[in-house]
Amino acid sequence: MPSERRLHPVSLLFNLGSVLGQLFFPAIVFLFAARSADSAVNLVALAVMSVLAAAVAIGRYLTFRYRYEATELIVRSGLLFRTVRHIPYERIHNLDARQNLFHRMLGVVEVRVETGAGAEPEATLSVLPRDALDEMRRRVFGLLAENAVATSAGPAGRGTSLLELSPGELLLAGFVENRGMVLIAAAYGVLWETGALENLLERTVGNTAWSESVARRVQTSLGSGGGLPLDGILLGLAALAGLLVFVRLLSMLWAVIRLYGFELTRDGDDLRADYGLFTRVVASIPLRRVQTLTVRENVLHRLFGRAAVGVATAGGAGAAARTRRPREWLAPVIRKPRVPGLVGEVLPELPLDQVAWQPAAPGAFWRAFRRRLAVSGLIGLAVLLLVRAWWALAVPLALGAWALVAARLHVKHLGWAMTGTAVLFRRGWLSRSLTVARLGKIQAVELEESPFDRRTGMASLLVDTAGATEAHRIRIPYLGRETAGTLLRGLAAEAAGRAFEW
Amino acid sequence: MDATAPTEPASVADGELHVLDPRLVPLRRTTGWIAVALVTAGTGSFLLPLLLFGNLAGPAHAVTLATWILLTLSLAVLLQVWPPIGYRYASYRVGQEELEIRRGVLWRRILKVPRSRIQHTEVSQGPLERRYGLATLGVYTAGTDHARVSLPGLEHGLARRIREHLQPRDGADAV
Repeated sequence: MPSERRLHPVSLLFNLGSVLGQLFFPAIVFLFAARSADSAVNLVALAVMSVLAAAVAIGRYLTFRYRYEATELIVRSGLLFRTVRHIPYERIHNLDARQNLFHRMLGVVEVRVETGAGAEPEATLSVLPRDALDEMRRRVFGLLAENAVATSAGPAGRGTSLLELSPGELLLAGFVENRGMVLIAAAYGVLWETGALENLLERTVGNTAWSESVARRVQTSLGSGGGLPLDGILLGLAALAGLLVFVRLLSMLWAVIRLYGFELTRDGDDLRADYGLFTRVVASIPLRRVQTLTVRENVLHRLFGRAAVGVATAGGAGAAARTRRPREWLAPVIRKPRVPGLVGEVLPELPLDQVAWQPAAPGAFWRAFRRRLAVSGLIGLAVLLLVRAWWALAVPLALGAWALVAARLHVKHLGWAMTGTAVLFRRGWLSRSLTVARLGKIQAVELEESPFDRRTGMASLLVDTAGATEAHRIRIPYLGRETAGTLLRGLAAEAAGRAFEW
Repeated sequence: MDATAPTEPASVADGELHVLDPRLVPLRRTTGWIAVALVTAGTGSFLLPLLLFGNLAGPAHAVTLATWILLTLSLAVLLQVWPPIGYRYASYRVGQEELEIRRGVLWRRILKVPRSRIQHTEVSQGPLERRYGLATLGVYTAGTDHARVSLPGLEHGLARRIREHLQPRDGADAV
């Protein structure tokens, strides 16, 4: 019979660390809140809490067992509330291994097992020895893939490498995809929580009189129609520019730290991504689990001839969205000419460059234009009412011209296509994206007619898939009503005819 | 429709468009009355003291009172008028391979869920629904926007028969 296994003994340390980490902030607050009177009582309370924490950590370690059955992984945990989890191998979508600095020093990994069921990982095994991970991968994916030989050939370096990113490319990725604001928001949160922010603001900005005075001068000069306080505005603009540059630099630095040594390999029927400078992550995605694939290009991507390619899987989408860690991106940055090749690895049945794209319905431009015109009209009117000067007329005019150009280009870049195996949707003019959903992964199809649609004989079509976050959503607008109806019936019939394989 | 209830369970998958049970209209109206009562109680609990004991000037007093009555009345009227309109635009179709649901008056939607994508199904009945002999059919998929698809306004027995038909069968799809 298969024997039960335990976690690596150093799990105790990590458990203790995480429990104490959760206690850290409350403890600090606790200590500082009552600094005077009964500090002895507080100390005792803290000691009791620490002992309890240690007990919890030890209990977690001692009760956590897992074992491999013929077709499923069984995880038992809990002392008071006992849980036994049966996870069939064929339901496992991802095996993610993470190693932070401490894990790496001790030669252990944290493993997350994800199935198609929603946001949380099905099981988190923290922590396992390295070779236990290799064994798990062999057992879980080895059973799935017919070519189990390739999988068990040996540790690192097997499979074919699809993409490697040099530090230079990563810097570029960080520059192109601005994630610096996320970092700032996180830092802000921490500072806010510890109350350090107020001190910092007080020291750096001092009094707020300066910014107030600039604002007032702008206001008065706008009202009187006189000259603007150029010095103040320039200074403000310079500060803004400085901040933007700083955020970009931060984003670049973060990209290098997060994705250092990024390598995407194909290993039989699995894709594997290895990355991370301090925390190493090894994420495996079986190819057949890929629900949708998206190619994104923003303005900077296009300027540098790059794109980003991502896939959505059914498992863990919610968790990834919550922690703002879009693990599902296949290629954080890739040269444009290599995109079809990479897509071909994931969707071999779909030659991306031979797709016959269908345009939006003929009346689409007018609808897109009218919509933008209404918005720019409102903004223009507001500006006119606020400023009341002849030059302000230029604002609505410029906005109107912009509406014309933007509507034209937006509609021009809308497109959809249906091949024998997949439905494709592309949109966007400045920032472009192209999403592919395999017919077998379609969950539901919906046709929607807004009142505007009905007046112009159009409809939009929503193709629902598992794990479709905003970036992966297929919602085709401005379709002719007939076309939309045909697509609705066709896609639903195609999906019904194919067994869903998660 | 009560006449067809006990006979031939296979006939639910006839592939025809059906209207919902007409008892959905009084059910929705009752729900509407309850909503109006709750809203009136909620807004009244702070407006009435203000009107009775607050020191609002003459016209402000009258305007507030009139606005309140007008808004409450229009809500009540809307919630009585809307159910039959919504009912007219709602229908469903159960085919061998899919479930189709149509609804929406201003924004009209046609949703198709292939049977092979249904993970599990449920029939639920709230206290009001029970009074009217109605039930809501819930269908779960692995999708994102349509992870749960619900079809309210079915006669309870019919809802259960549709559920029986849509219920995924063992081995029907290899997950």
